[in-house]
Amino acid sequence: MASFEETGPRIPVVVSTRVDKIHPISRLSRTIRAIAVVVVALILLLPVVAMGITAFKSRNAVVSVPPSLIPVPNGDVLRVEANELKRDTGEISIARNFFAPTLEGFVFLLTERAQAGPARAAELRTQAQEGQLSIFDQIALDNGQEILGPSDYVARLRNSLIIAGISTIVSVVLGLFAAYAFSRFRIPGESDLLFFILSTRMLPPVVVTIPLFLMYRQLNLHDTHFGMILLYTVFNLSLSVWLLKGFIDEIPKEYEEAALVDGYSRLQAFVKVVLPQAVGGIAATTVFCLIFAWNEYAFALMLTSDTARTAPPSIATMLGRGGIEWSAIAAGSLGFLIPVVIVTFALRKYLLRGVTFGAIRK
Amino acid sequence: MSSANLTASSGRRINRLSDRAIKNLFIWPTLILLIVMNVFPLFYSLYLSFTDYSAIARVAPRWIDFANFVDVLNNEQLWRYFATTGRFAFLSVGLQMVLGFGLAMLVREKFAGSGIVTTLILIPMMLSSVVVGLFWKLMYNPTFGYLNFLLGLSNPATSPDWLASRVANIPVPGLALWSVVFVDVWMWSPFVMLLALSGLNAIPDYLYEAAAIDRASSWFQFRRITLPQVAPLMLIAVLFRTIEAFKSFDLVMGMTGGGPGDQTEVIAVNLYRLAFTQWDTGFSSAVAYIILIIIIAISNLYIKYLNQMRDG
Amino acid sequence: MATIELHQVEKKFGDFPAVKPMDLTIQDGEFLVLLGPSGCGKTTTLRMISGLETVTGGTISLNGRNVTWLHPSERDVAFVFQFFALYPHMTVRQNIVFPLQAERMAPADIDKRVAEVVKMLRIEHLMSQRPGTLSGGDQQRAALARALVRRPAAFLMDEPLGALDAELREAMRAEIKQLHIDQHATTVYVTHDQIEAMAMGDRIVVMSNAVVQQVGTPAEVYYNPANLFVARFIGSPGMNLVQGQFADQTVRFSGEQNYEVPAEWKPAIKKATGSNSVTVGFRPEAAHLSESGALVGEVYAVDIHGSYSMLHVKLAGSNGDFEIVHVRTDRRTNYPIGAQVRFDLNPEMVRFFDTSSEAAIQRENA
Repeated sequence: MASFEETGPRIPVVVSTRVDKIHPISRLSRTIRAIAVVVVALILLLPVVAMGITAFKSRNAVVSVPPSLIPVPNGDVLRVEANELKRDTGEISIARNFFAPTLEGFVFLLTERAQAGPARAAELRTQAQEGQLSIFDQIALDNGQEILGPSDYVARLRNSLIIAGISTIVSVVLGLFAAYAFSRFRIPGESDLLFFILSTRMLPPVVVTIPLFLMYRQLNLHDTHFGMILLYTVFNLSLSVWLLKGFIDEIPKEYEEAALVDGYSRLQAFVKVVLPQAVGGIAATTVFCLIFAWNEYAFALMLTSDTARTAPPSIATMLGRGGIEWSAIAAGSLGFLIPVVIVTFALRKYLLRGVTFGAIRK
Repeated sequence: MSSANLTASSGRRINRLSDRAIKNLFIWPTLILLIVMNVFPLFYSLYLSFTDYSAIARVAPRWIDFANFVDVLNNEQLWRYFATTGRFAFLSVGLQMVLGFGLAMLVREKFAGSGIVTTLILIPMMLSSVVVGLFWKLMYNPTFGYLNFLLGLSNPATSPDWLASRVANIPVPGLALWSVVFVDVWMWSPFVMLLALSGLNAIPDYLYEAAAIDRASSWFQFRRITLPQVAPLMLIAVLFRTIEAFKSFDLVMGMTGGGPGDQTEVIAVNLYRLAFTQWDTGFSSAVAYIILIIIIAISNLYIKYLNQMRDG
Repeated sequence: MATIELHQVEKKFGDFPAVKPMDLTIQDGEFLVLLGPSGCGKTTTLRMISGLETVTGGTISLNGRNVTWLHPSERDVAFVFQFFALYPHMTVRQNIVFPLQAERMAPADIDKRVAEVVKMLRIEHLMSQRPGTLSGGDQQRAALARALVRRPAAFLMDEPLGALDAELREAMRAEIKQLHIDQHATTVYVTHDQIEAMAMGDRIVVMSNAVVQQVGTPAEVYYNPANLFVARFIGSPGMNLVQGQFADQTVRFSGEQNYEVPAEWKPAIKKATGSNSVTVGFRPEAAHLSESGALVGEVYAVDIHGSYSMLHVKLAGSNGDFEIVHVRTDRRTNYPIGAQVRFDLNPEMVRFFDTSSEAAIQRENA
């Protein structure tokens, strides 16, 4: 067989490339690499997928041994079979790797329930037969329970949304002003100030929290929405200043100078010339601030207890309440992670900047 | 007519704002917030670190000079937690560097769909670390967890109980720490990959072309061009991750809460306990200051390199 | 040293032809310049010779060996890049020894080779510096040293002076030419600067739109351009090209002026132009002003170059249209703008082109 070096490639070359890049060995190694990347990505995401699967398991299926992997509709039968098999003979059955997807975890997570007494249960069952029960009530009933109302977790989620949302808006707005000033004006000690702003982000939360806790207690800000919004605003301010400064630096200042020459004021130039061009950067910064506030755990753990408590510490404390409700935890985690995953895709152009405070661009 | 005049004149008033006024107006809100919420608390806790204050005792702080710091320095247990933190940082940052760089080398060359796959790989670092800790706790569960199942270690009698540092009920010290390290590596290798990738992408093609012409083998190119060119970014990744590793709190809280025993008790977790369970406010402020000094030292290096990168 | 042969070498990016099939033989020791405007395919051709770009058709051989599908490192060629491509994290010395270390040459031999090159290029003082701290010219010397130190069969240079400022470019031009004279190594040199090409090339390959327009010595491409493109592209300004109708011994320009064609051209033009449309080409120095000149124009602008002046002369066309031709004149006389001037063309230096095919008309028995 004639070698590549003598006859060239069998597939015609249509792109610009180096001769050695189309050598069969080089092509093969690229294919292998691509496959390896996909495999690695799948392995890396396995825990996230496992979490997602667990969220749809019933309380029993979560603790089945070995863990069931694949949800199948109406797998209930199979599951029961499996449990029976296990009880009776201890034999391992293929059936055990299936489970019926259920919203049990979500119901447990989002509702406050009470054990329904025999009379009440019978009443509910007739309602169910008449088709008057929602699937959520039905799920609770299957567990001998009755839904009383939304759980604390719903309130925590609402807190998370309010606190993350408002603090993000404030820190992006303030950050935008500061970033513009840093980018366009000569500021004495500019690099020191920027360093100071960044360094606030480098502090371990627990270090700052000790005095903050005392301050907040004094000012009655402990466990308040305002206190948390204030804290998260400051926490994200350094990120937003650094990121936005990077974005504004990239907008040539000649545009504003042209606007100034054309008779616009500095503020008008800022609003009409800089802001429209910084929209992409502002959006990316907003999303990063949202994610960080949304994910934050340590401050919330130490500075809230109930009224203003956000979701992350409460998912964690679910572990402690009346045994481990794994499906509820998984449901909570899943609901918590999905927005972040979506946003990660939306942000992928800006990820590098975001995680390095805009210091490294591409 | 008159209202039009009004807006015009108020517009002119805005016009009269000087650049200096705008500069101050734009910058001070941020600075004031940072001073109130960061600088003041730091001075406050510096003061507290010289007192015997306890936040739950209704007694005013008493000045006790350097007693807290002396206590910290003499507290062997604390030094063990510092050592645990150091070990945690060293192991996880080291592994992250190797894996992150390896991943970057893998995804460096584009193929159909590589953008999406790369983003998928980056997902872990965007997740909430306490939630990550929780679902890894599920993964690690010795009986119904996925990890042992996937590893084929399903027999509960002999399988490892990762977070309890036990294999077949025999204690294996360090297993829990390694398990936490593993999750930290899982979460943050993508970050290192992202940095390494940007370093790799910044290497101009013509350097490799020159090297190909210069008859350098792939290994020679890797050693003499790729590595030295990516090194500065890798250094930044090391510093950044080291700082973060010293702050490590969420993950440990989510997974082990410091246990079993105090095997995974990193300093941030212990500080939380000192400050918010034992309410030893003065003493914990002193500990906090020592952590602070360590982190400032590392951050200084970090920012120095960042500036160098931006300038060069 | 080496001969390079290109046989029907072709490059397409998808359907877009970057280089249409070309044949070219580069002689041992020759300094060949690939010249053309950007995007004409000259750099692609050079990169195909080096292996940094694959061909989509044809073969390339070096000293009779088919290298078309060999790795760049197996071709024994050195490449000098436009932006030098010095390794930024290495000192000049490390850059220069890089190719020698890559082939695991013994340190003693390396030292010997380096000493030789360093002496040749006078760069001792730069050896411990990094490329980033050097001037463009010094970076270029370092890049040349890295190429020279290998003693390759051929040197390939891709606009090596393109990144330098004008003054330095001229000095480096001479330096590279001198190196070539010393080494007498086969060199393929890409540039878009026709002055550089004229000054350095033993032969010039003029390319445009992926096609070789003309291959010849600098004098050939200057005096006998093969077509209108070469006529326009070579020289600054390029050749004056005035279109007219050939009828009965003369060319009639649109502005009702007649130009009497030199006798030796008449048969050829008659034979070549079916449609009778012919383009008369003459270099600025081929025109000389005289009171009795056959052609008439109006001074439009004057560029004073110091040692000579370049007149822009407006030739009237039909219905208010006009054409500008350049006429080189001595620096002493003053020509006010708007003045009428008359000039003649040096019959030795007039060329004729078929307007429709754009090809030069060849004089018979010349």
